[in-house]
Amino acid sequence: MAIVEVRNLYKSFTRGTESIDVLMDLSLDVEQGEFVALMGPSGSGKTTLLNLIAGLDNPTRGTIMVGDMEISSLSESELAHWRTRNVGFVFQFYNLLPVLTAYENVELPLLLLPLTREQRRHQVENALGLVGLTERMGHRPGQLSGGQCQRVGIARAIVTDPTIIVADEPTGALDAKSADDALNLLELLRSELKKTIIMVTHDPHAAGRAQRIVHLEKGRLVGADALTTAY
Amino acid sequence: MPPGFDPTLNPAGLSPDFSLLELGLYAGMGLFVVLLLLTLLALATLPIFFLALFILDFVLRGFQVSPDPVGKYAKLAGLVFRSLRRNLLRTALTYVALFVLTGMLTLIYSVVSFLGKLTSEKQAQQMVIVTEKFAIPSMMPPGYASQVKAVIRDKLPKEYQPADIDKNFMTWSFVGGSLSLEKRTQENSLFLFALDPDAVLNGMMSEQGLSPDDLGEADWNELVRVINIVKEDKRNIIVGEDRLQIMGKRVGDEMTLYGLNYPDITFECKIVGAFPAGSRLGTGAAMRYDYLQAKLDEYRALKGKEHPTTTRCLNLIWVRLPDKESYERLAAIINDPATFSSPAVKMETFSAAIGSFLEAYKDIFWGMKYIIMPAIMVIMCLVIGITITIGVRERWTEMAVMKVLGFQPWQVMGMIVSEAVLIGVFGGMLSTWSVYFLPMAINSALKAAKVKFSFFDSFACPPEIIIYGPALGILVGLVGAALPSWNARKVKVSDVFSQVA
Repeated sequence: MAIVEVRNLYKSFTRGTESIDVLMDLSLDVEQGEFVALMGPSGSGKTTLLNLIAGLDNPTRGTIMVGDMEISSLSESELAHWRTRNVGFVFQFYNLLPVLTAYENVELPLLLLPLTREQRRHQVENALGLVGLTERMGHRPGQLSGGQCQRVGIARAIVTDPTIIVADEPTGALDAKSADDALNLLELLRSELKKTIIMVTHDPHAAGRAQRIVHLEKGRLVGADALTTAY
Repeated sequence: MPPGFDPTLNPAGLSPDFSLLELGLYAGMGLFVVLLLLTLLALATLPIFFLALFILDFVLRGFQVSPDPVGKYAKLAGLVFRSLRRNLLRTALTYVALFVLTGMLTLIYSVVSFLGKLTSEKQAQQMVIVTEKFAIPSMMPPGYASQVKAVIRDKLPKEYQPADIDKNFMTWSFVGGSLSLEKRTQENSLFLFALDPDAVLNGMMSEQGLSPDDLGEADWNELVRVINIVKEDKRNIIVGEDRLQIMGKRVGDEMTLYGLNYPDITFECKIVGAFPAGSRLGTGAAMRYDYLQAKLDEYRALKGKEHPTTTRCLNLIWVRLPDKESYERLAAIINDPATFSSPAVKMETFSAAIGSFLEAYKDIFWGMKYIIMPAIMVIMCLVIGITITIGVRERWTEMAVMKVLGFQPWQVMGMIVSEAVLIGVFGGMLSTWSVYFLPMAINSALKAAKVKFSFFDSFACPPEIIIYGPALGILVGLVGAALPSWNARKVKVSDVFSQVA
């Protein structure tokens, strides 16, 4: 069963008087609990596709269904509300708030949900426990290594128990060991928690950890049904 | 300064050819001193500002462990305080700028408000002034004093008369003198009010700060003692402490004053007391009116003719009337050319007289009220706007991340506005409160230490600024943050991350 259904998607940007077509007639299905890697050269539209699936932008044409919600026609405010519950976002540069501790960073999206303080604490501790940072929950990002920051970022992405997790170059700023740890975590989320993960990456090694690699070139899918041999 | 005052006899001790250039220089120096004082005050209150932020943050942290929704909102509000702590130097500089500008605004407002009060009519007891109608400075015959009294007694119905006319009546004559006939300087010149000493004891000069309430019991008793000494001898005079210092004289000194506006008349004076430094009479002096009269009589006896000023030596007449209606009835009689014709006189209330005098400066006051004050407010908005804009630019990615996490655009906007309002409200509050309370506090301390420095007594800001300051801060914060917070609200997440990548 597809948790993400993208149909006939177009996305254009206007720069001055010029219109640039970034995505053209793109259709894609991502199954529940699937780990998909989006690959392609720079400018192929993979981050744009990721942003559209995550509800960070609206398409020019076409539809995007995530779960049972058609998100392509939602307003900015509705999308923000939807994202809180349904999308966990892992960034390349972690993007943690430097003035907050690891605990507070992970708790931040939960403040937007109708949860009690106890429920929030339970979820934050679970998420930080899953990424192995329970001992570091009182530390600020500046006191953590890059790998630890990314693990906090992953904990923040999963703390709301979202429908999908989107990751934009999650290993791009990490050394090999930390990158491996981050990918292990993402795999764990898929295998143990049955999370659906869509990851943009340039790194073939990282992409090799996904169940399926989707290639984009000039805004179109290439070899979209290819499956990795690992799974 | 009362109408009829001779500008060539300036009680401030400035030279008679006091030019516009000098005025501009003094104004510029005054502005510099005020700015310097306000900046020092801002720096001095900076720890209070940060302490207040710390306490508020501490209180919020207490609420953060409360049950929801209080705890949740306290956590979100805590983000605002942490953002302000992120760049302490910028937050401090913004506070200092807002403090100084609010202080300037407060002082201008205080001056404008003070003048407004002076020129506003009072319904109760009316202090009215009689002056020459068509000439400045006003110079009336001395006989006009008794004639005005006679008009009050004979033509004004009893119910509109003061209880005791003699105790509610006084005359003013302005006497300029110099210690040297040959060379006249600021240091050897003295400006005196020729008065009836009892007028002070009768409370006729309470508006000028010569009252038990304004001076305090001890100072008032000292003034009464000195006035009684003045009453013992015509030659005794009281000089302001500031003037004594300029002239290098002391209480007890005797001196010969050569009349400037009373040429060929010499006054032998003995200083028997001093008006407090910094008070309205601190640079002036007072002598007995009957001594002036005696000197004019002496001139006639010696020269065999009247002194040229004999029939023009009365500059002002003050009368205290029970109410506004008394004033209106008496003014109708006095202002009638049939009553006083040579010269004609006019009667007006104290506030109206001051209003007439201030009429010459109305453009300056208009400019202060409608150009400088709004300009300062615009600058305040720009200062806070630029600071917040820089802060927002620095945190552009953070704003985008918050939106990715699900924060609504208005929540992001609210955080930015809150930061601006917090700085604005503290800057405005501490500034106006300092300007309002500091002079009072210093004066109390000086009084306790028995040190006289009554400048702080003479300056008072209207109490409403205690509310206006924080309100202004909130307004400036809201206006200043409008554009940057709107930009933060509109931040397009996909654009931010495409730039980052």
